[in-house]
Amino acid sequence: MEPHEFKLTEEGIKAVLPPLEAEIMEHMWRLKVATAGQVYEYMKEKHPDIRRSTISILMNRLCERGLLKRSVEKGRGGMRYVYSITSTREEFEEKVVQSILDALMTNFKEATYAYLSKIKK
Amino acid sequence: MTMLFIIASLEALLAVIALAELGLEISLAAFGAILLLYLWVSTHDVKGRYTHLQRSEVPWLYDGIAEMARKAGLAMPKIYILDDYIPTAYSFKDTIVLSLGLFEVLDREEILAVAAHELGHIKNGDTKMFPLIAYGRYLMMVFTAVLIILTRDTAVSLASLTLLGLYEVVRANFHKEREFAADETALRLLETPMSLKRALEELKYYEDLRVGVKSSTLPSIEPTIDRNKRQKVQIIETHPSYDERIFRILVEMHGNNMFNNRVQ
Repeated sequence: MEPHEFKLTEEGIKAVLPPLEAEIMEHMWRLKVATAGQVYEYMKEKHPDIRRSTISILMNRLCERGLLKRSVEKGRGGMRYVYSITSTREEFEEKVVQSILDALMTNFKEATYAYLSKIKK
Repeated sequence: MTMLFIIASLEALLAVIALAELGLEISLAAFGAILLLYLWVSTHDVKGRYTHLQRSEVPWLYDGIAEMARKAGLAMPKIYILDDYIPTAYSFKDTIVLSLGLFEVLDREEILAVAAHELGHIKNGDTKMFPLIAYGRYLMMVFTAVLIILTRDTAVSLASLTLLGLYEVVRANFHKEREFAADETALRLLETPMSLKRALEELKYYEDLRVGVKSSTLPSIEPTIDRNKRQKVQIIETHPSYDERIFRILVEMHGNNMFNNRVQ
């Protein structure tokens, strides 16, 4: 996933993802693989009014963003979708930093170099 | 249904009157083509992202549908599971299709309610009638185009266009009524009739979240689910809204008491 926006006022991955999607991803990075139902049970504790539809829509949105992938699993409980992460949190953060620095180097090369060398010292 | 048949027959009659022998030939050819299409469709099974559900895979769903089919006096329908994350269901012939998306947003009772609605369509004969109506629509379109192109007569063209418009309006109303009738049948088949109302409310919530996302109470959610691209814009709505269906269910379940209570 290539982030297209960076919100300076938000913390952590909420700077590049909408809040609920960020929360889902935080949880998914811990679980690695989960169903929408399992994520719903977790999210319900923090957001009692949240509905299954919201979680399903958001998890499929995360699939569209390339952060999750969806597969069909046939198990004892019948057929269901199982979602899994496509990259670790570290890989994702690395990609975010790369994208931002690439954008800064393209648009503000001198200032970016100057600031990075200042940080190095 | 009779009305639709009359309109289609009038269109064919118009073709015969306006084009004489050629009109008769076109009418026969068109009916033949539609008949062949109907036979081909009815003898071929579904392919693609469908899985034929076996009882051992989801016993509660299979048994639930079997029980409702028994109540409705129907043979056990085929159940297909569609690999689609958007919650959807439909029926054709003696088959019910449920998408995997339904299993993510609805509970067991609600999924059975959706299946009951589809059983309602089978029970009421809609799965046989709807294809005929659709083929009739294609016939109407072909006849209208042929009449406009070949006759180049304003009166005939206007008459065929009027008949086509009339067919569309009657078809839309007919479809809507059949949806309500399928809900009514479902209410009689379900152990917990209220589950149909709950299912429709959840599906409505899903649709609203998808469509009205900008004005949603969850400002961060911007699902661009590709159903928008898949669905054609309908000039005449053939399906009643979720609100209309929920309202009818409440009326069906509470009868006039609902209004009396409100007045008191």
